[in-house]
Amino acid sequence: MKVHLPVAKEVRDLLSDLLGKSVSIEPAAPLAPGPKRPATIGVYVDDSLRIAALICFDLPLSAYAGAAIGLVPPKTAEDAVAQGTLPEVLRENLHEVLNIAVGLFNSTPGADHLRLHAMHPAGEPTPRDVLVHALTLGRRTDMRVDVPNYGAGVISVVQTF
Amino acid sequence: MKILVVDDSRVMRQIVIRTLRQSGYAGHDVVEAENGLQAVEMVATEKPDLVLSDWNMPEMSGIDALARLRASGSQVPFGFVTSEGSEEMRARAAAAGALFLIAKPFTPELFDEALSAVLPRA
Repeated sequence: MKVHLPVAKEVRDLLSDLLGKSVSIEPAAPLAPGPKRPATIGVYVDDSLRIAALICFDLPLSAYAGAAIGLVPPKTAEDAVAQGTLPEVLRENLHEVLNIAVGLFNSTPGADHLRLHAMHPAGEPTPRDVLVHALTLGRRTDMRVDVPNYGAGVISVVQTF
Repeated sequence: MKILVVDDSRVMRQIVIRTLRQSGYAGHDVVEAENGLQAVEMVATEKPDLVLSDWNMPEMSGIDALARLRASGSQVPFGFVTSEGSEEMRARAAAAGALFLIAKPFTPELFDEALSAVLPRA
């Protein structure tokens, strides 16, 4: 049981490569998803199907990352933020972002092998057990990410055991 | 030359095609498949000169598609573009007959490095 908790530079490099833009990152207060703070949560499991880690994007970052990876116009992302929910194209794109983000855990030699098990998009109800994990304090890192031409939002990487 | 890009994610197929262009391989014909099964069928009908395939996909994985192609006698050049690049997967890919494995996220430089031996710049 050795889950690698990525540091800020690893998150910045992965998102920059993936979104094709130099994102900037700074520390942020822990993201607490809930009815007032919708967030997309990616659930990562180990080879025994145990939930090992979560990656949470708040609603703005969900919209900006989902748009930036597919060169979707910023207006579509802004509309999604205003409406509090993600259109299908942004959901689909964000799923791919979370799928590739598994590299944050797997690229370290000796770390447990994880894979993306499920994505709960911002604006939709999140299963209670997933929400409880997302609210865990301790082994987590919270960062504010600025995606050039789109905007900024918060990402949290949470280790669940 | 014709390139078959295989990925169940539409946005990732777009990114692969865009990166081909950025790495100097614009001008080739590109066809797309959503999974390994479709890829096997399209290798027969489209006769691509190169297959760039994801690993994990519904219906049939990339590694199973490669095995099926080789079992049927197809020697089409085949490379993986996948979110997992562990040594174990690279070894499995090579043993199955893949030319290279590019881990996502990738850069145009990584593409060029992998493709320069198999594909002329168009």
